[in-house]
Amino acid sequence: MPKAFPLPSDLSPATVANTASLLRIVALSLISGAAIASRLFAVINFESIIHEFDPWFNYRATRVLASKGFYEFWNWFDPTAWYPLGRVVGGTVYPGLMATSGVIYNLLHALNLPVDIRNICVLLAPGFSALTAWATYMFTKEMKDESAGLLAAAFIGIVPGYISRSVAGSYDNEAIAIFLLMFTFYCWIKALKLGSALFGTLAAIFYFYMVAAWGGYVFITNMIPLHGLVLILMGRFTSRLYVAYSSWYVIGTLSSMQVPFVGFQPVSTSEHMAALGVFGLLQIVAFTQLVRSHVSSKQFQDLLFVALVTAGLLGAVAFVGLTYKGAIAPWTGRFYSLWDTGYAKKYIPIIASVSEHQPTAWPSFFMDLQFLIFLFPTGVIMCFHQLRDEHVFVIIYAVMASYFAGVMVRLMLTLTPVVCVAAAVAFSSLLDTYVDAAEPEEEKSSETSGAATPSDASSASTSKKSKKEKAAAAASTPGNALTDLVAATAPTKKGDAPKAKGIYGIDTRLAVIGNAFAMLAFFVLHCTWATSNAYSSPSVVLASHNPDGSQHIIDDFREAYYWLRQNTPETAVVMSWWDYGYQIAGMADRPTLVDNNTWNNTHIATVGKAMSSSEEVAYPILRKHDVDYVLVIFGGLLGYSGDDINKFLWMVRIAQGVWPEEIQEPNYFTPQGEYRIDDMASPTMKNSLMYKMSYYRFSELFGGGQSMDRVRNQQVPKVGPTLDVLDEAYTTENWIVRIYEVRKEDLLGRDLKSANAFAKGKKRKRSKPVSKRRPIL
Amino acid sequence: MLLLPFLALFSLPLAIAADDATHQKLVSLAAAGGGLIKLDAASFELLTSPNRDWSASIEFTALDNRRRCSPCREFNPSWNAVAKAWIKAPKEHRDNHFFATLDFDDGQMVFQQLGLASAPVVYVYPATEGPRATGRTDPSKYDFSHGFEPEPLAQHLSNHTPIPIPYTPPFDWARWTTFAAGFLSLALALRFVAPILQSRWTWGVISILTSLIMTSGFMFTRIRNSPFMGHDGSWVAGGYQNQYGQEVQVLTVVYGTLGFAFLMLIMVIPYQTSAQRQRFQIYLWSAVIMMVYSILIVLFKVKNRGYPFRLLL
Repeated sequence: MPKAFPLPSDLSPATVANTASLLRIVALSLISGAAIASRLFAVINFESIIHEFDPWFNYRATRVLASKGFYEFWNWFDPTAWYPLGRVVGGTVYPGLMATSGVIYNLLHALNLPVDIRNICVLLAPGFSALTAWATYMFTKEMKDESAGLLAAAFIGIVPGYISRSVAGSYDNEAIAIFLLMFTFYCWIKALKLGSALFGTLAAIFYFYMVAAWGGYVFITNMIPLHGLVLILMGRFTSRLYVAYSSWYVIGTLSSMQVPFVGFQPVSTSEHMAALGVFGLLQIVAFTQLVRSHVSSKQFQDLLFVALVTAGLLGAVAFVGLTYKGAIAPWTGRFYSLWDTGYAKKYIPIIASVSEHQPTAWPSFFMDLQFLIFLFPTGVIMCFHQLRDEHVFVIIYAVMASYFAGVMVRLMLTLTPVVCVAAAVAFSSLLDTYVDAAEPEEEKSSETSGAATPSDASSASTSKKSKKEKAAAAASTPGNALTDLVAATAPTKKGDAPKAKGIYGIDTRLAVIGNAFAMLAFFVLHCTWATSNAYSSPSVVLASHNPDGSQHIIDDFREAYYWLRQNTPETAVVMSWWDYGYQIAGMADRPTLVDNNTWNNTHIATVGKAMSSSEEVAYPILRKHDVDYVLVIFGGLLGYSGDDINKFLWMVRIAQGVWPEEIQEPNYFTPQGEYRIDDMASPTMKNSLMYKMSYYRFSELFGGGQSMDRVRNQQVPKVGPTLDVLDEAYTTENWIVRIYEVRKEDLLGRDLKSANAFAKGKKRKRSKPVSKRRPIL
Repeated sequence: MLLLPFLALFSLPLAIAADDATHQKLVSLAAAGGGLIKLDAASFELLTSPNRDWSASIEFTALDNRRRCSPCREFNPSWNAVAKAWIKAPKEHRDNHFFATLDFDDGQMVFQQLGLASAPVVYVYPATEGPRATGRTDPSKYDFSHGFEPEPLAQHLSNHTPIPIPYTPPFDWARWTTFAAGFLSLALALRFVAPILQSRWTWGVISILTSLIMTSGFMFTRIRNSPFMGHDGSWVAGGYQNQYGQEVQVLTVVYGTLGFAFLMLIMVIPYQTSAQRQRFQIYLWSAVIMMVYSILIVLFKVKNRGYPFRLLL
């Protein structure tokens, strides 16, 4: 066979294998290094700090775990959260993340490496991203080969879709969960391939770890059963599937029930019923297989039919009956809103209000996945081409995850691994084809079919034809009806030898490979840019640029939280919107009314009501909840758009859900239906506590000039709102955080409004007119 | 002409005394309308008289075609369904709450009085006297944030009626019949379509199309009800977190073309037996990839203006 370019021929196969193995190890370690390094932008640009909101709680809990031990953490009741209710942290948290950091912390200290727990928390996500790259390598290796695995590892190492949730400081459950997800899937595929109970058990153990770490474990709970079900429907039931699934399901379910937060959910909620149902189905199918080996075919047919129908009916009736009686809980709201996309907005506005629960527009897909997004379908087609059992898994995963990622931005995270895998399969097939030096013999016999006018239509038809031919040729899968069918219907020319595959010439190779490498290089540039610009902001510390281009750090949040920490009694209760609950607890160490663990809708609605009603209505609420300080975020001076006035409508909506009589969303709009804060704002809006707290004394800042809200681009009224029940306690440098102290009841028993008026020296208006003295004549 | 004010003066105490008579009149009106009173300006006054021991929910609407109020026509069936459901309530409760409709063409004066500039609007007038008086006299407005569906409407109005409105959604015969028929015909046709269902490429096409459409932001346009294109005829919505329906189609085609080009390079071209033809196809598809990819980057730059990279274009 001719070669396109010379290859060294004096190498023994052993040398080649050894060198390849060494190169793989080197490549994997370099990929790990790149994965970790590209996540450190946040530390270099800012500092080693915990990001955003939820990580602050995880960090706080980890500190408890590290300082007091696991047992204390497990029984930790936090009286400062959800004041006055408190929170049983041990029973309402996925402890996997904290336990992981705790183990690393104790390990390092046992080695006499006195590392601060904060640094472990900050760097946990980058560290685990290296493990994710390795797990993806192992997974993809099962799909195609090692070279595809290396590509997939490199992709997932730097792809922004995963980096967005795992930069240094983003100490959240997802940081370790994606590694666990990929490794559980790898173990499952391995177990299925080998029919090995050992790998099934490994999958179950990592599934347990995943359950302990992230609520997204439900994805695995449904993916593996779905894979099993599709394999059964395709007529691919094997004892390997039976062993793998049974060992995974039994051990995985039993161990997952040990997590207190999960408890009996695996046997009592609809999310987990698919796994149970497929487990039952597998037993039935395995039983019929056993019977088949003992009875004759005709008897067997009848027996099978009756048994299957009876079992199916019984199962369905039992499921419906149990759901109806309430033994099986229906879908939880968060899960249900994935299917019925209008559901959350209607019934649980708190779920709809979270920004990461919004649907995804296409630019987000491209930003997060770049060229992988269009290699992804190609990779899925290649999976269809081979269609071994493990390829079915990738196909199901691809379809499900792309739907979920479209519905919710945060689920982009579950789509990213499969996109990397599929794209790597496609890309490595491309490289395999065009790097291979072998050149086929050119056929001299003139091709009769289609004069190969390279229009789209003809190439499409040839492609279809050759696909069919290859489908027929690819008899690697155990002969099933459809392959035979395709082979029978495909027009085969007489006397066609199996076609030789290969590329002619060196220039063609260089063109394709050069193109491919240019795309890879572009991908690296894109990832670096996206990571450093879009995903590395801690959001606790903001950055802007000075006129000379140097970086200016805006540190208002920490300024305010430290003010609270230093200037208020430890028992002072701080009310704020729930977004800032974890941060206040973590940085200011003060009790909060509501926080990011949004389990109590009514409590959140209470805060929403206090914020959105007038002072007279809000004051009793504040006093009843012992609120000492109210904290609002205001971005009008700086143009910080994520402030409370922009979130205000959600507060109104959530409050309206509980008190539809008192709070009504339309009242906060102008009669023309606009959301305004200037002179034309509706009276309800102007009287609301949130509006008053945000714009209190704002116009004074402009010294009588036009005071401009830079977020809403509207002019704030010249005469600002007055406050009777609150005193301004602290406002940060850029006015981003404003803290108000709640006044105590007046000592003389007057209402605060008249007391305030008295203090300002205003006369009380009397209803009776004072009699005028009659001039003496 | 002194007679008229005199008569009015005379009838004032009579009106108060005749509260019962008014109530009776309203009851008979409601019965005549099948549970729904069709109001005009005069009967509106009766229904919302300041001394009332009944409550009322009133729909202000404009159903006449000339008014071109399509939301009114959209909402009206829901309103009628809820009002009809109220007939099923026991008589002693039924007569304490009335459902009524006031069309714009029957009572322009009332619309002006209430300052209503848009329709449909639903007001609930609480009782001011009797055991059900709440102390509130002014009506409350129904918030249409849950849409025009009858269920949330019935649920909301039930807060104001003596007993909850016995509304049950009508059994959707058409839907279930279609469903059953579809299921049956599928079962019957199973034998004939089985080869198609068993073909891997059927499923392949379905899967690929699903992923392509989903990753082009189809669910975003569904959930947010994005228009197909902009008002000014533009088909690319400005802004990173926004898109029009047409963009889904364009992006699906772009991704599909790129994916298909790679598929050609990987799975089709290597089987080409003529070197010349193969070379031509390789260059063709490589050029297609480069061009379409450049277009994609241009599109992305429209959405994300800060994007620093570009390809050929």
